[in-house]
Amino acid sequence: MSSEMWVEKYRPKSLDEMINQEEIVARLKRFVEERNLPHLLFVGPAGVGKTTAILALAHDLYGPDYRNYIMELNASDERGINVIREKVKFFARTAPIGDVPFKILIMDEADSLTADAQHALRRTMERYTRTCRFCLIGNYSERIIEPIQSRCSIFRFSPLSEEDVKRCLRMIAEKEGVEVSPEGYDAIYEESRGDLRKAINLLQAAAAASGRRVDADVVYAVLGRVSPGRVREMIQLSLKGEFIEARELLRSLLIDEGMAAEDILRMIYSEIMRLDIPERLKVRLSDAIGEVDYRLTQGSRPEIQLSALLAKLVLVGEEMRGGGAALD
Amino acid sequence: MAEQPWTERFRPRTLREVVGNEEAKDRFLEWLRSWEDGIPEKRAVLLYGPPGVGKTSLVVAAANDLGYDLLEVNASDYRTAKRLKEILGRASTQQVTVTGRRRLILIDELEGLSGREDRGGVEAILDLIRETRAPIILVATVYTSLREAWERKLRELMKLSLPIELRPIPVVEVIERLREIASRVGVEVEEEVLEELAIRSEGDLRTAINDLEAVARGRRRITLQDLEALGLRDRQLYAEEALRRLFTAKTLQEAKGIISSTQLNYDELIDWIYENIPYILDDPRELSEALEALARADIHKARAERSQAYRLLKYMFDELAGGVALSLERSQGLLGVVERHLRAMGIPLSLLKLEERPEGVSIAPVRYLGGDTWRRVNMAVRSLGGSWDREGRRWIVGYLRPPRIALRYWWSREKRRMLKSISSKVASRMHISTSRAVRDVIPILKVIFQSDPEMAEGIAEWMELDGDEVKWLSKG
Repeated sequence: MSSEMWVEKYRPKSLDEMINQEEIVARLKRFVEERNLPHLLFVGPAGVGKTTAILALAHDLYGPDYRNYIMELNASDERGINVIREKVKFFARTAPIGDVPFKILIMDEADSLTADAQHALRRTMERYTRTCRFCLIGNYSERIIEPIQSRCSIFRFSPLSEEDVKRCLRMIAEKEGVEVSPEGYDAIYEESRGDLRKAINLLQAAAAASGRRVDADVVYAVLGRVSPGRVREMIQLSLKGEFIEARELLRSLLIDEGMAAEDILRMIYSEIMRLDIPERLKVRLSDAIGEVDYRLTQGSRPEIQLSALLAKLVLVGEEMRGGGAALD
Repeated sequence: MAEQPWTERFRPRTLREVVGNEEAKDRFLEWLRSWEDGIPEKRAVLLYGPPGVGKTSLVVAAANDLGYDLLEVNASDYRTAKRLKEILGRASTQQVTVTGRRRLILIDELEGLSGREDRGGVEAILDLIRETRAPIILVATVYTSLREAWERKLRELMKLSLPIELRPIPVVEVIERLREIASRVGVEVEEEVLEELAIRSEGDLRTAINDLEAVARGRRRITLQDLEALGLRDRQLYAEEALRRLFTAKTLQEAKGIISSTQLNYDELIDWIYENIPYILDDPRELSEALEALARADIHKARAERSQAYRLLKYMFDELAGGVALSLERSQGLLGVVERHLRAMGIPLSLLKLEERPEGVSIAPVRYLGGDTWRRVNMAVRSLGGSWDREGRRWIVGYLRPPRIALRYWWSREKRRMLKSISSKVASRMHISTSRAVRDVIPILKVIFQSDPEMAEGIAEWMELDGDEVKWLSKG
């Protein structure tokens, strides 16, 4: 029997099914009623419903075979703005049949395009405005050039509340026959915060790993097998002074898992903030992480920069055990 | 017909085949396409960069793809203004050739113009650009170290044209291209060889292809030994020598002298130091300071390369020499590292005799250890890169180990293919990018595939995963 990932299985199909972002949903519904649409810019953190909202809007606008009227591109996967332009050209060259005179082009991670590429994109948007509306999606509006922003209606999505995330998890757990303890929900939320995609994926993995009886321990065990857990282990090894082992783990994350240094750094940051260490050390480490983060943008080698950070953690661990002042 | 050199035989015919420099490629094409709407503000593009990064290839491929007739001259062949104007003057006033094809003018080897006697040549090119009705592309090979002088010399040209810089080709892409060529000529090449050739080329694809052709001559199969036979593996000796001297240097001056006299390039040197620092410095503060200095050296190097301001490299020297080499004070060196590590693994040091020998730190049992303890020590030693010397009845941990950082550039072909195909299936079904799929979803899938076959089967069907992909996700 074929079964989807739960994230897809329970993705709202219509705007009516969306449980959050009420204001945004209300405004989008008006577009559907008017059967007209400006160019859209959706910004907000991961897993809060940006893609879901535009897919649901397309569904409501075009009906069940809405897939024929939209094209999804992910800027970070396309090879350059020229490829994007060719695809747009091909897609937007004809107007659709039916009462809606335009198609919708969804461009996810649009904020990963360089400014130059965005300027080229803006020209493309203009050229095909008659037959095509663009929905650009990204994390930060500041990373979208002003000329594009001014041509779009901007929608700012906010992280989901703990209540919303848990409500949604409960609904899925019930339908999938999964028993989840309250601590299990807490652990999932603690890890995913307002990122619903992450929360649902974690629930599914935890359900699979436990014969569908999820508690906090199961969640932590699963986390130990996915990247955040391994990053945690790397930090613990460093604090214990096991630099060589910590570096091996770092290499395994970079090489075996193929993770991006920026992602590892982000996880290190959130782990450090949760560590039980003196606050002033957290601030110092945050400064050190910020420095590494900047250096990564400057073309330095990620592994060396991250290793230097691990060595600082070794020093912090040393101080915690009373071995002198760290990081001064 | 005489056999063409591989660099010609495999020169890209279409833009798709041109490797690397996506951003520059986009800007170049955008400029070229803008001619379709009339003569643009900048009538010439100046493509420049180090050798072997595809400057001429880009022009040839673009002309092919976009249907231009390419008129190609070497700047240095027509050193006088008069000759250049004779050759190009007429061509540049017409947008199309007699056959009706649009024309593209390529002036190659611009760097060949030099000195006062070529002044006229530069003037002539400036005139051409001001008046041309056909796109002109100037190509210059600029060794990065000479860039500043060169920029001064060609300031007017840079101002009048759209300068686009091409950068060295990333190692992975060099490997990819070499592999493709090897398979087209039917030579079997070990992955390690491709990796070595690519890293050594420093982003110069032409050199890499030439080297490959050189080793492949008369062979159906190329192994690492074949490469060594060509003398490409002396690096290890250089590195060992340099590191030994570096960490015993007493002054900044001495350390800098060692760095500047080594046969290694900066990347190699940084790799070797990076690999070995934790085996030399066991004191946490010294380790941290040395790694920070190394990281800072690396950032100075990156800044120098990005901004092409090579004067910045001297700060890299100082960090490497002063920050890394002179950091060793309290640390006990490898002996200290080994002691610390064994103790951390819970192994009583009273069972073992540790001493420094020429070949490395020796760890000898002082009495019979018993199988369990022996295995524990063995595991601890192996994680330091050491091994059991059966004849000497002791473990040896060598002083230096070659960098494994090169691995970062290289995954087994199988693994890359697998990750790529699974992540693109995940990406398209879950509306996310392939990199997010790698980061967030594939680890989740692994947990599911390794613990719940029933759920896994359903997902496999939904994602249309093939048998190999399912197997890959299911193994630990």
